[in-house]
Amino acid sequence: MTNMKKMIPTTLLMLAVCMSSFTQGYETLESEYRSNGSLMHGLLERPKQSLSDFSAVIYSGRKEIAYGIVVEETGYVITKASEVTESSDLKLRIGATQYDPVQILATDPAWDVCLLKTDATGLKVVHFADNGQVEQGTWVVTNGATTRRERWPQLGIISANAREIRAEGGAVLGIEIKEEKSGLEIGEIPEKSGAYRAGLRKGDKIIKIADQKITKRDDVAEIMKDRRVGEKITVVYLRKGKQVTAEVELMGRADTFGAQQTRNDTMSGDYSKRRSGFPRVLQHDVQGNRATVGGPLLDLEGRCIGMNIARANRAESFAIPVEELRDVISRMLTQAMKNKADATVAPR
Amino acid sequence: MKTLVLVFFLGLLSLAFAQDPPSDPKRLPVNDKKVPAGVEDMLAIEAALKSVLPAARNATVCLELGQGSGSGVIISADGLILTAAHVAGGVAKDITAILADGRKVKCESLGLNSETDSAMVKILGKGPFPFVEVDKSDRTRLGDWVFSLGHSGGYDKDRGAGVRLGRLVKVADSTSQSDCTLIGGDSGGPLFDMAGRLIGIHSRVGTNLQQNMHVPIREFVRHWDDLVAGKFIGEGPFAEKPKKGTGFLGVGTEDSGDGKIRVTKIGRESVAETAGLKVGDFIVAIDGKKLKDKEVMQKCLKDKAADEKITILLMREGKEKEITLRLGAR
Repeated sequence: MTNMKKMIPTTLLMLAVCMSSFTQGYETLESEYRSNGSLMHGLLERPKQSLSDFSAVIYSGRKEIAYGIVVEETGYVITKASEVTESSDLKLRIGATQYDPVQILATDPAWDVCLLKTDATGLKVVHFADNGQVEQGTWVVTNGATTRRERWPQLGIISANAREIRAEGGAVLGIEIKEEKSGLEIGEIPEKSGAYRAGLRKGDKIIKIADQKITKRDDVAEIMKDRRVGEKITVVYLRKGKQVTAEVELMGRADTFGAQQTRNDTMSGDYSKRRSGFPRVLQHDVQGNRATVGGPLLDLEGRCIGMNIARANRAESFAIPVEELRDVISRMLTQAMKNKADATVAPR
Repeated sequence: MKTLVLVFFLGLLSLAFAQDPPSDPKRLPVNDKKVPAGVEDMLAIEAALKSVLPAARNATVCLELGQGSGSGVIISADGLILTAAHVAGGVAKDITAILADGRKVKCESLGLNSETDSAMVKILGKGPFPFVEVDKSDRTRLGDWVFSLGHSGGYDKDRGAGVRLGRLVKVADSTSQSDCTLIGGDSGGPLFDMAGRLIGIHSRVGTNLQQNMHVPIREFVRHWDDLVAGKFIGEGPFAEKPKKGTGFLGVGTEDSGDGKIRVTKIGRESVAETAGLKVGDFIVAIDGKKLKDKEVMQKCLKDKAADEKITILLMREGKEKEITLRLGAR
């Protein structure tokens, strides 16, 4: 199990007595002087300008659900897919202007990024830093709070090694497999699973996975070991005596079947639904909640060094490094253009 | 006009007196500004952090005991670790420390203060180990920039100990508060000043992200010798005091007449069985104290608590043998 260590309960007391320690004489630093106080934010003019230029705010109706990054001046914006794809009545705000309607054009399940499109012209586009090789301890800025006219910065630092975040519980097809006399049969299959979306259903009999014949459940476990989220593997199955081949995109176990919450997960905050299964991330300590994810991670010059992709817990936030982010964006733009072209030439 | 200048001057003087202790050459100049004056000051903080971070991180360890894990920091080449009392869990406990490079070393807890959440742990293996300087002269003040390290959620080699930056936002005698966000697993981990000197140990959090509490180093200094000596201090909430008389060895004995205590029975699955005591062994002494008969031995064991470590001196087939074990629960 890759994430066994996550199961180990870890110590940190969350105590009512913590405030009682300060019952006697103490000194306090006024809030405006604190590391995310108004006086610190006053020093962040350039990042603030960038936020106003190319950080988008995404709404479902009137509710702020995520932030985004403007990638094309004609209204293309990327954001965190799992926070928006199930929402209706999407709207965007860039600077002080609101845009709607908003369409979802493409999704990248491995990175949990999607491409949005709204009608706009002459938008200011994200200004990337040369690279995302930022040393630990480097200041970073994200979009912290939003008003109708303004974006407010939130400050932090890069706080750990850039690395892969393996999917909690591993990458899965998203099926429960029962060993029946007649073979391996699909039991439960959540609708959002990769297998369901590829057409598999309850009662189908699995014959092959990734070109390997399977006869027992352990075979499946062996084949699925060390797989990555977003990877596509072929599944051959029988339905009503007919053999069918499907290509299934793998998802994280927690995303498919629901996450097991540890005490750390519930410690003060509302965290991202999807927060594991990323090929490589930068880790920073900027505070926020699940709705402050999806926007740019900036340096003090206001250049984009990554895209915030998960608020993982009280102390850890993840961002896609700029190198990988550029690839994701160009892939999605290409896919969107192709979809558009296909739609234009499609015979009626 | 003159009086005004004078008043101002006096004001400065009194300010200078308030700044006590007087000089600290390693003090980050930005700390003397209420807020950084501009991006340059922010970059000075960043540069200071980056220069001391590698050494600070090398000395930060993950402490594993039983089911949970916390953090700690090595403060001497021979492996003395400072941590939180609720991480150490008690006196003379077996703990495994995972060093920054992944090496696992055996440790034993020394003393603790259950009222303020401070504790010491000692690595049993041979050093030298990477360590950090402790600011025993207590030079950090309210508003100073500080950074925290810790193995949040347990040891993760690919990630390393996470670093968080903030300011000291509240200072009381036996507790400090910073806006470096902590989470489970960070407990017992180090809080540093911008010169990389240890100034506190992580203890607890409130629901608000700015409520991150640390035990200041002065609290360790106050009880230093007792902590090194392995004393259990106080009756506070951070560690449960072992209860005398709860320890259980699991042997049946008889006085053999010639001033010897003979083992006649070994309880099944008792600690005595696990430690290898045998029927026919003679118990000579416990923890260096000679026992003349069965009654003295029982009295001696009555003073011990469950999980307490004892050393038994035996005579087996005419030869002396020493066995160390932890008592079971009665």
